[in-house]
Amino acid sequence: MNPSTHSDPVPARLLNRRQWLNRSGLGLGGIALAELLAGEQAQAAGVLGGTHWAPKAKRIIYLFMSGGPSHLDLLDYKPLLNQRHGEQLPDSVRGGQRLTGMSGNQSSIPMVGSPFKFAQHGRAGAWFSELLPHTASIADDLCVVNSMFTESINHGPGVTFFQTGSQIAGRPSMGAWLSYGLGSENANLPAFTVLITQGKGGQPLGAHLWGSGFLPSRHQGVLFRAAKDPVLYLGNPPGVDPAGRRLLLDRLRELHEHQFAGTPDVEIHNRMDHYEMAWRMQSSIPEATGIEDELQHVLDLYGPDVKTPGTFAANCLQARRLAERGVRFIQLYHQDWDHHGGLPGALPRLCRETDQPAAALIKDLKQRGLLDDTLVVWGGEFGRTNYCQGKIQANFGRDHHPRCFTAWMAGGGVKAGSVFGETDEFGYNIVRDGVHIHDFHATLMHLLGIDHERLTYKFQGRRYRLTDIHGHVVKGLLA
Amino acid sequence: MRKRQIHAWGLLLGALLSPAGPELSAADKLRFNRDIRPILSDKCFHCHGFDPKNRKAGLRLDTFEGATADGGIVAGQAERSGVLERVLSHDPDEVMPPPESKLGRLSEVEIDTLRRWINEGAEYEAHWAFVPLQKPQLDAWLRTASSEGKKTPIDSLVTVGLRERGLSLQSAADDATLARRISFDLTGLPPTEAELADLAAGRIDLEAFTHRKLASPAYGERMAADWLDLARYADSYGFQVDREREVWMWRDWVVGAFNANLPFDQFLTWQLAGDLLPGATDEQVLATAFNRLHQQESEGGSVEEEYRVEYVADRVQTVATAFLGLTFECARCHDHKYDPISQREYYGLGSFFQNIDEAGLYSFFTPSPPTPTLLLMDEPAKATLAGLQARVGALEERVGAMEPLDRIALRDGVPVELQGQLAHYAFDHLDGNKLADSLHPEPTPPKKKPDPKSKPPASPSAMLKGENRLVPGRIGQAVQFTGDDPVTTPVGNFHRHDPFSVSLWLQTPDVKERAVVFHRSRAWTDAASRGYELLLEEGRLKWSLIHFWPGNAISVRVRDPLPAGEWVHVVVTNDGSSRASGLRLYINGTLVPVDVVRDHLTQDITGGGGDTIALGERSRDRGFKGGLIDDFRVFSRDLSQPPRPGLEPALSELRAARAELTEFSGRQKEIMVMRELPEPKTAYVLTRGEYDKRGEEVVAMTPASLPAFPADAPRNRLGLARWLTDPGHPLTARVTVNRLWQSLFGRGLVKTSEDFGSQGEKPLHPELLDYLALRLIHGGWDLKALLREIVSSDVYRQEAIAAANVMADDPENQWLARGPSFRLPAEMIRDNALAASGLLDPTLGGPPVNPYELAEAFKPFTLAKSGSTLHRRSLYTTWRRTSPPPAMLAFDAPRRAVCAAKRERTDSPLQALILLNGVQFVEAARVLGTSLYRDHHGNVDAMIHHGFLRCLSRPPDARELEICRRLHAEQLAHYRTRPQEAEQLLKHGVAPAEPGIAAPEAAAAAQLALALLNHDACVVKR
Repeated sequence: MNPSTHSDPVPARLLNRRQWLNRSGLGLGGIALAELLAGEQAQAAGVLGGTHWAPKAKRIIYLFMSGGPSHLDLLDYKPLLNQRHGEQLPDSVRGGQRLTGMSGNQSSIPMVGSPFKFAQHGRAGAWFSELLPHTASIADDLCVVNSMFTESINHGPGVTFFQTGSQIAGRPSMGAWLSYGLGSENANLPAFTVLITQGKGGQPLGAHLWGSGFLPSRHQGVLFRAAKDPVLYLGNPPGVDPAGRRLLLDRLRELHEHQFAGTPDVEIHNRMDHYEMAWRMQSSIPEATGIEDELQHVLDLYGPDVKTPGTFAANCLQARRLAERGVRFIQLYHQDWDHHGGLPGALPRLCRETDQPAAALIKDLKQRGLLDDTLVVWGGEFGRTNYCQGKIQANFGRDHHPRCFTAWMAGGGVKAGSVFGETDEFGYNIVRDGVHIHDFHATLMHLLGIDHERLTYKFQGRRYRLTDIHGHVVKGLLA
Repeated sequence: MRKRQIHAWGLLLGALLSPAGPELSAADKLRFNRDIRPILSDKCFHCHGFDPKNRKAGLRLDTFEGATADGGIVAGQAERSGVLERVLSHDPDEVMPPPESKLGRLSEVEIDTLRRWINEGAEYEAHWAFVPLQKPQLDAWLRTASSEGKKTPIDSLVTVGLRERGLSLQSAADDATLARRISFDLTGLPPTEAELADLAAGRIDLEAFTHRKLASPAYGERMAADWLDLARYADSYGFQVDREREVWMWRDWVVGAFNANLPFDQFLTWQLAGDLLPGATDEQVLATAFNRLHQQESEGGSVEEEYRVEYVADRVQTVATAFLGLTFECARCHDHKYDPISQREYYGLGSFFQNIDEAGLYSFFTPSPPTPTLLLMDEPAKATLAGLQARVGALEERVGAMEPLDRIALRDGVPVELQGQLAHYAFDHLDGNKLADSLHPEPTPPKKKPDPKSKPPASPSAMLKGENRLVPGRIGQAVQFTGDDPVTTPVGNFHRHDPFSVSLWLQTPDVKERAVVFHRSRAWTDAASRGYELLLEEGRLKWSLIHFWPGNAISVRVRDPLPAGEWVHVVVTNDGSSRASGLRLYINGTLVPVDVVRDHLTQDITGGGGDTIALGERSRDRGFKGGLIDDFRVFSRDLSQPPRPGLEPALSELRAARAELTEFSGRQKEIMVMRELPEPKTAYVLTRGEYDKRGEEVVAMTPASLPAFPADAPRNRLGLARWLTDPGHPLTARVTVNRLWQSLFGRGLVKTSEDFGSQGEKPLHPELLDYLALRLIHGGWDLKALLREIVSSDVYRQEAIAAANVMADDPENQWLARGPSFRLPAEMIRDNALAASGLLDPTLGGPPVNPYELAEAFKPFTLAKSGSTLHRRSLYTTWRRTSPPPAMLAFDAPRRAVCAAKRERTDSPLQALILLNGVQFVEAARVLGTSLYRDHHGNVDAMIHHGFLRCLSRPPDARELEICRRLHAEQLAHYRTRPQEAEQLLKHGVAPAEPGIAAPEAAAAAQLALALLNHDACVVKR
């Protein structure tokens, strides 16, 4: 792996032969060295060569609920909306918020109460809707943030903002930044993997969401597919078995050694290493993704879908297995939370798909002692309006709402069993402790031991970072 | 332990690295651009630079005047200079840069350099990239080269630099190596066996070979590959919805332009401003699609203006990156921190690029390209179109002027002349939710049970939806609208050439900023308003026929507002001419004066859904809240004309001719392009870059720090192109030749090919860069000539391997002490395998195609069954932005979301997996293996020999032969014991297996070929 366009000259006299052989522009000056010295170890270090302070979490599992789950029907209980069901949203509450073109031209915007029952759970008395019984059961492990906000009112920019810190596609995603900064704990697996629930409709996702932007492309997320090959062309093609492949690789290595003798270019040695690494990945990845060795009671925890590849339950189990093996950033996506209409019918279905597996993931990590240094995040790109889109009817819907919504975190250094932030009784505005996406990113990085202002990458003359020029660590979320 | 050690190494290295790269001898006088600007730019300019808003303590260090005004720098006296005192300080309140900036202390070396420079007089220099190119230097360099007996100043200039390091050029690589290098560089493909044989036998020399490569159509394809990155070319719109779009015709133009060697200044001008050239040809207009290739949005509910602003910003960023090599984007929100570009200048440049009749969202419900567009026709089609237009013109002349009636007579609130009436909804009785058409009563339901299989006949009635209700009206009852519910009708799917009219009574309760009275369309922005519509806009009636709003529509608006709270009779008419003058409005029977809002309708108004008239509401638009409509009548006749039976044959002939024209135009390919509006749109500074925060107005301008805009040039894109291609412009040519160099050497003379500003890298060989730039300008912007000169130079032809210490000290080959060497770019990796195996389909141009890897893309594509589209060059692979070709991405192709001036280059195990297991490579291996076996009747040595030539362009040596023999023997033995495996291997891809070769033999040959295709020398250019 040598982004040779990123290197500054390193005086050769400082390197022994093996080192300069390895050196082929791995990175920035001393950083390149860091990487190549670690190259023969089990891990590949990141550009920071360590963390800025002792990390609370070593890795993140991010359960992204794409489409914008309704905070008002799941986690942010607002009985006032039931009392004032059907009344127009007062202008004083709306306060000039721009509306999407979906409902922006509606003649009336009546408020709707949640049709679901709520109850308090855990030490902090956090409210959970009846749709989330499993999540409610781990209330004491969660830090529920009711005061998330964003500027985006549409999905494309909204999801992109959460994943890359910018609304316009093209910047590196969070996982790519962490891979770049911290490297991998397991050189046989990608540092940043992506798992997507299969067969979901809803708002489309795009590969830019796990792209590396201007960072070297090896930091981009590797999409683990539910297909035969979790990684593109991982498996030998039919007609090639491991024994035959090994023979081929041995001869190819001889050809390369011979080539190097006549053409002493370090790139050749790198290429040889990559072929060996590819060979190892052919066993390490199937080992990580296979679940034959899972015990029945663990499988039961995740629910009946766990054995169906590509379900959210199966992906949550995969996430735990990858976390165990030191993958730095594990991104899950579950689509179809975009309930402009038919919310009372759709939301229970989405919760059935996700509630138990998400809770199981927390329990499973905890029973293995992994929750201490694994940070799990659950949330979407925005919330939903307290008024209905279109007319009030039994099967109503809610439009996009950027001003407040709910996310939860668990594990790795967050305050377990807590509720953070508060919205007004309309569930429309934040009244206390707003957490912007940039703050959220700064906090996640803080927990991983990174000063978000000091993980930068110089591109087109400017030092870029995940948090742009913003972001404050939200101390109230920290344990 | 390990980690601490790493840190120590890092620090040590940081301290030892001199800021300027090459060691400075004490005798050299320090130079601002080379030695000082990088330090100041990185550590100081953020707060003490060009941007006055961000400037701290009023101190600027980017000019001599600023730095010396207040003792920051005292020329000649470092110890009295405030700057030095502050960087040396250890007091956290005093030290610069301040700790909170997190920029870190200046290193001792940096401080010493600053001290020395101040003591030497603190001489400033203009930023190197802004210094004008000196034509006399070109002649001097040419003279020197010729006096030294060098082929080109490239060699003399590089030799001088190397001599200072005690180095010299490597000897020339052998012909076969050079043939491979030249062939990839100029065509993206390996040399053919025949060419290698001709070279070896001396039948052609490298000059002739180069000439042949430059003349090959593959040259244009290779050059286009880089250009597509810059132009952020993609076959889909990007962003979230990412619908596919047809823009490949522009890509084919690029290939053709390179092949025709269109001079680069024209190549640039056509793309920026082809539409503005006098007598612009279709080809010149087509070139301007360059400005429209950015991502576009159609996600429901998006704000149109937000994205229109984004598109303009993308055009600015692309032009700035591609031609100026400047990071203009930084000045979108504030004055540039490092380079002399103000926010006003940013928006001033933006104003060149917004003067087209476009929408910020493309149409979700129709496939039509966003306006403005160009119809792409071959000569016969153009002639047909011209013929149809001429025929319409002749018939219009024959019919003569059709002056509209001044008045439409009403009696008891009803038009007296009802000829041509199609439907009449009195809105007097509600039957369920049906509102009867008095001309077509509901059929009485049949007595016997209807056949459940047959569809019930369509109802002629209108339907009242939602909470809309009947209230006392102008004549009997009327409909009162909620604004969120329509009344739908089953009539009104008119073409643009159909004369038609609508008559109604309406009453608006208030002055509507915007309200839909009635329309035939699926939606507003989501369908680009396809259809026709009567709106209230700022209280005025607006009547429009629309193919794609705003650029392909006719629209008129009444001058006076409609009175509120009063019943008004309205007739709107269309004469079928597709001209705004053919749209008329009558209020209370009187023809009223209108303003023309749009007058450009060249395509039909049908399609997109919503085929019939609906009243009072439209999807995601503002309805006629509280409004009343009564006595709604639809006519298939232009009511502005009295019935003229005598003229009917001529009129019907005209209508038929127009219909034919509509139909023919609709069948032509169309592509989005630039077409300048007659009046430029007003441009504003946008506060913090936000679309809805307009600040002061700005005019079209270029940055003051660059050469002046030519006095006699128009202030539009054409003038901008003239400014960019002026021989005195310091950036355009430098930036262009730098990218050419980058494509050949893997690294530009300026590594930051996208940034020639003060944060970019300054070139180690500035004179070479200037020479090439001058050569381009004064050689008639002839790219082929420049490429020929470079690839003929000794610098280019050097061996790629130098002494170990040179390789280690200069891993990127910045010194040019050896020939270029780097892993082939994504396209060439695959094209090489296709060429080596003989699978390559060399067809030039056409719609994008889907090779095997797209079946593995994030959103998998369905592949063609046959091989015809599978084996085209990678340039033609469908580029869908949210689901790009995964193997190309793994080999560092950019995503094409934004302009990219260079590619990262990484190597990874994922690439090895693709080359070993990817369907295309396995298929190429088995096809190549089979052909080797067939050609040499299974003679292994001959197969190896030939395979080397095909994959590496050279024969194997003895050791390689030995390794490959063993490889082949092992694989053969392996497959002989597993014949089924061999059979399986031979099934990869669509290429048919060769009968008559035993499966184990063919499989072993395939494995031999696979090894060669994975060989370093096959995938690395040296």
